[in-house]
Amino acid sequence: MLHKVIFGDNQFFGINHMSEEKAQALAERFWDRKAITDVIDIAYECGIRGFMLNTNQRAVEICDYFRDNKEKYPDMWFYASLPYAHKYANAVGEKGIFGAIKDTIMNNSGAGEIIGLLTKGGLSLFERDMIKVMELLVQIEMKIFRDLNVKVIFLQNIVTDLLLGFGVKDVFIAFSEYIKNGFNSEVGFVTMNMPKLADFLLGCGIENPIICSSINKAGYFMNPDQESYEITLKEKQFQPIAMSILASGAVKPTEAVEYVCGNLGIQSVVFGASSRGHILETKKLIEQYS
Amino acid sequence: MLKAGFIGFGRMGITHFSILNNHPSVKITCVCDQSRTMLKILKKYLDITTYSDHKEMIEKEHLDFVVISTPSNSHAEIIRYALDHNLHIFTEKPLALTEKEGREIVDKIEGRNLVNQVGYVNRFNEVFMEAKNLVNTGIIGEVRSFCSEMYGATILKDAKNNWRGKKSAGGGCLYEFASHCIDLVLYFFGKPVQVKGSVLQSIYSSQVEDLVFSTFIYENGFSGTVMSNWSDESYRKPTNIFTIFGTKGKIIADKHAYKIYLREDIPNDYGFHQGWNTRHITDFAKPVRFYVRGNEFTRQLDYFVECVENGRQNNICNFYDGFVTDTVIEEISKDAARDLSSAFSINMNCDGSTGPGEKPSFWKRTFGFRREGHAS
Repeated sequence: MLHKVIFGDNQFFGINHMSEEKAQALAERFWDRKAITDVIDIAYECGIRGFMLNTNQRAVEICDYFRDNKEKYPDMWFYASLPYAHKYANAVGEKGIFGAIKDTIMNNSGAGEIIGLLTKGGLSLFERDMIKVMELLVQIEMKIFRDLNVKVIFLQNIVTDLLLGFGVKDVFIAFSEYIKNGFNSEVGFVTMNMPKLADFLLGCGIENPIICSSINKAGYFMNPDQESYEITLKEKQFQPIAMSILASGAVKPTEAVEYVCGNLGIQSVVFGASSRGHILETKKLIEQYS
Repeated sequence: MLKAGFIGFGRMGITHFSILNNHPSVKITCVCDQSRTMLKILKKYLDITTYSDHKEMIEKEHLDFVVISTPSNSHAEIIRYALDHNLHIFTEKPLALTEKEGREIVDKIEGRNLVNQVGYVNRFNEVFMEAKNLVNTGIIGEVRSFCSEMYGATILKDAKNNWRGKKSAGGGCLYEFASHCIDLVLYFFGKPVQVKGSVLQSIYSSQVEDLVFSTFIYENGFSGTVMSNWSDESYRKPTNIFTIFGTKGKIIADKHAYKIYLREDIPNDYGFHQGWNTRHITDFAKPVRFYVRGNEFTRQLDYFVECVENGRQNNICNFYDGFVTDTVIEEISKDAARDLSSAFSINMNCDGSTGPGEKPSFWKRTFGFRREGHAS
């Protein structure tokens, strides 16, 4: 069962789809790890138990903190999202696509693993088995969550949507299987193209998939259109999680929650906030309307 | 159904492929790339034919159009070949690396019923589109100056093994980053009559510039600057900022929002009042058919396909537009070289310590003097 309220992390990492300035101000405010965990503490005190965390550089120290203080947060569950796409994007600029991936694997895997990969036949690892490459990358990124409770492992939207465009079912199926079997977590997908992804995942035979997407009254980041989202929610069997319900501030909280939880009947919402007042208000609204 | 072939399968090729692969009017039948590994992976997972030679691919595949996303120095040759085979073409920027090559392409395509588009994607960003409309309405009065900036963290160490870090391959901040700022300026105001004060400066790269400055002068009494730095880690994503100052107000636009300052309260259709007004992309963005990395990427390719389907001529961002941008880029390069040589000669006259042919130091190149205690 997914948590009804999941606390998002974009605000901690200088991500704001509406304003570069706001994003920078937030990045400055949350420069210190303690500033982040203080806000998470507030969310926990408010009764929130699900926490979304993207695997970026800052996530390492956040996870370290929660591992060191496990007794303080006995029923805290993480919703991990990977990969950290911007890290790869920058490395690709310097080394090319395969160079960037190879470096990541070489720098983060055990010697035994690497030798095992290199000695199997003359083909490069990429040519032989891209699925294995994917598994290694997931394994590397998930290291930061070791010993923490992870409810869902999401494939982040840039990669989900890029792969969805390619339409290779094997990759989605293999990712799902690998997460389910290897991590004791459920698998999820973040997307900006929810109707298309829902169709595709069901077509892959992935049952009742967890799909996290922007769902808001303004229709923001809902591709190809809001109506397709509403129809898909009504007709397809999947577990939707709504994010960007406030459309970066374009919709007022009450209206936003009424639309998502009241009208559309969505049972799980990700939202990010930085003050006790906003956290409490949004959480109460979600519980009231769902 | 339009048959498409992809030439070049790096970061942009992959993005374009993902966007077009599920377009209802497009069937991608083939990909050409220099990476054997990439081709083997594609062949394994996709129903396409792979090639390492674009000529062979174009000859064999009977395509309607090609999408070119190869390193910049190969664009001109591939475009010429595709034109010889009557193909519609979408190419990543820049069009070509020299004015001569660009002119040949523009001459070759003139009068032919072929859609030709260069990937200056900012022209399809809704904030910049809206900002251009606003400038055209005259709401900020007559434009007197602008500043077109682009920053990002693409190169944070010397990328001499990647084409982006090699001048001969068309790498460098001028082609890769500043070209977007320059294109935005041309989109808004057309070509300047003069380019002055250009500086191409290295930060981390050994073979290319990481920083670009230039001043554009226009005939009717206005001017502006272009500033670009692709080694700025403080930006999480490549970021464009376009500031336009007019006699009645000012606009500051980035990909997410614009702010407009009006000197007076005048009636307008936008609901703006005197002083600052902010509009976010959430206020006017329209969704796209299939989203990958940003609305504008889908919008530019869907527009291209629509033009091919409808036989539209004079499309947005056509080769001529790309050619004009290339000529401005070339002028900046020449201007920067000129400035460098004049700074060099001034320095020689001042202290007489630098012999002809000696490479000027960073301090000399940038500020025209030698720093105390700093080795040249």
